[in-house]
Amino acid sequence: MAQQTPYSDKRFLILDDQAEMRSSLRSQVGSLGCEQVTTAASVRDALQKLSVSSVDVILCDFYLGGGTDGQQFLEYLRTRRIIGRGVLFIMVTAEKGYESVVTAAECLPDDYLLKPFTADTLRQRLERLLERKRRLARIDQFQDAGNWSGTVSACDEIIAARDRYLVDALRIKGNALVQSRQVDTAIAFYRQVLSMRSLPWAKLGLARALQQQGGADAAKQLLAELITEAPKLTAAYDLLGKLHQDSGDSDAAIEILDKACLVSPNSLARQRSIAAVAEQKGDFARVEQALGQVIRKTRHSPLRETADFARLGNAYCEIGEAGKAVGLLEEARATGKDAAADPLLAAVEAIAQRKAGNAEKAAAALERALQADPAALTDDAALNLARACLLAGRQDSAQSILRRLVQGNPEAKQLHARITAVLRDNGAPELAEQLVADSIREIVQLNNEAVRRAKAGDVAAAGEMLCEAAHRLPTNLQIMANAALVVYLDILRNGLDSEKLRSAQGFQQAVQAQQPDHPKLAEIASLVEQIRSKYARSE
Amino acid sequence: MQFVDLAALTVHGVKNRLAILAARAEARGDRETLRDALEAAATLSRLLACYKAEKGQLAADIGACTPVDLVGELVAEVRQQTALTISADLERAPELWFYDEHLIRMVVRDAIYNALRYARRQVVIGARTRAGWLDFGVCDDGPGYPPQVLARAAGSWPLSREGTGLGLYLADCVAALHCNNGRCGRVELANTSGAAFHLLLPE
Repeated sequence: MAQQTPYSDKRFLILDDQAEMRSSLRSQVGSLGCEQVTTAASVRDALQKLSVSSVDVILCDFYLGGGTDGQQFLEYLRTRRIIGRGVLFIMVTAEKGYESVVTAAECLPDDYLLKPFTADTLRQRLERLLERKRRLARIDQFQDAGNWSGTVSACDEIIAARDRYLVDALRIKGNALVQSRQVDTAIAFYRQVLSMRSLPWAKLGLARALQQQGGADAAKQLLAELITEAPKLTAAYDLLGKLHQDSGDSDAAIEILDKACLVSPNSLARQRSIAAVAEQKGDFARVEQALGQVIRKTRHSPLRETADFARLGNAYCEIGEAGKAVGLLEEARATGKDAAADPLLAAVEAIAQRKAGNAEKAAAALERALQADPAALTDDAALNLARACLLAGRQDSAQSILRRLVQGNPEAKQLHARITAVLRDNGAPELAEQLVADSIREIVQLNNEAVRRAKAGDVAAAGEMLCEAAHRLPTNLQIMANAALVVYLDILRNGLDSEKLRSAQGFQQAVQAQQPDHPKLAEIASLVEQIRSKYARSE
Repeated sequence: MQFVDLAALTVHGVKNRLAILAARAEARGDRETLRDALEAAATLSRLLACYKAEKGQLAADIGACTPVDLVGELVAEVRQQTALTISADLERAPELWFYDEHLIRMVVRDAIYNALRYARRQVVIGARTRAGWLDFGVCDDGPGYPPQVLARAAGSWPLSREGTGLGLYLADCVAALHCNNGRCGRVELANTSGAAFHLLLPE
């Protein structure tokens, strides 16, 4: 009879680039009575296996060869939500210290296992970690679902029990308070934790909460202190860099991100942030340096991102290397999965081809870029597409893209400045002054008109106007929230309509996901409650 | 490439070989080979850590840890490698304490390997609270520390061929990295029924 252990029914994935290590690990896991073991030799191989069937435990070697490492793999899995928090990720490494940099808590492995280890040590560690997962399972589910109030109350239960998971629960609770923007509660909570002991994660959390409160200077000071105390906590450098960037000090932002690179030279995420800061600052040589590294490491790996190619191509154009840009962008289009349909890549290629003197190829690339659904464009894609249109003399298309971008983000002053700069620098200075203000006026008028009609009793007409705008501008939360409100009101007054109900729910969920503390959500929830009791009664 | 990077890569390669060797030995119940492989790996870790300590690069990543698990794992690991009686003394161990799990594991493991060399019949590994301190103890029933080791001034350990001095030097470095509220960790040695090694970490 098969041995029954807490882990014998678990599915394992072993990732190691060395065949001997894979088979050694496999037999160690096998000796514990685990039969569902898959092995992978590369990140590509592992991702393919994860797409076929899910696993419970991942044992991943830190060194994976070919410029990739286990930390990059883990960050990729977590940020793309390929694995939930319930999956145990164990990093196998020869030496802790070189590779174990403390990134965002989200992207930390559950544990490090130092080679060599015996099957017996592996067994004990697995038992302990699986017990921890079980104890935190409800919290993990709430976190995966973005249910922060549920997370907080589940944490409170564990905190009250004061067992060995106390500190885990404190850490997760703090994060949940920050995520749900309960700023004052979060600050008081972290101060209380810190009064017991100076813990790096609590200082980092306090800095986040202070930032949310608008105390950027206090947050910066705290982070500078934290970096001295815990120089390996790269998440602190990242946050400090972002704060400098937000206050317009890109030199300080780059300086701090450079320091973080010394601590963790292999982080792709950090090179990408450096590139983003340098791009806004107009330092394209620096963009080239940072993204050049990223592309060298990811070119033949599944960790590659089409946006890196597009941004590097753009940097080449900016430093007068249009020919190089064309080569890179054509390579990206030919070799990347789904890259041919990527609007950012196509827009940048249109610009590069034009600068390189290939008018026909430029026109073809622009056509490809314009195929994309305008409501789904990222800010970068929209800005570059507008540039490409302006360079091709298609001012009307450029205007309509930019107008939509403003109306989708009416509060984003930095984005507005970039939009103005695109118009000014690409032959439309007369529009630069007008477009942002006009677009905002237009959407405010639409909103006011819809509200007026709703108040006058014509909720159906108001709902139609707002729904049209909400579909067009999915990032404008004021429009989205008003659309949800008015459509629910229409349902409450004029009767249940499944299509209207679906669209109102869609708007409500989108607002909830993008800004859980949006002021209109409470009003929306109370309307939903009224609808529920009204139609429940009439059934 | 700097020497330290080359060393790290080499250590990685050698540890991979040792891991395969250890797994094979464990699978066929070969206690001596298992111990040689694991002890050799521990020696390499110690060497790298000493290098980092000397360069001022040894840093503690202090978090909430469970001493009972640390001692439990080490006891189980060592039992597979020796015919001596290895026991755990965890009656007065706290649920949680703050320290760097990997550095402390390395120091306690080194103390255990040292004890294995001198013990006659048994080694006791324990964790207990003692007036605001956590005390990791490794006690054997051997001849005890020689007088020149007991009379040492911290940081100036006499180096022996087995590397005992190196282990104690590292234990001092690691202890000193664990400070809270103005108190820092320390190492205490004594001869009781044999050699008694204590690593004390402040609350």
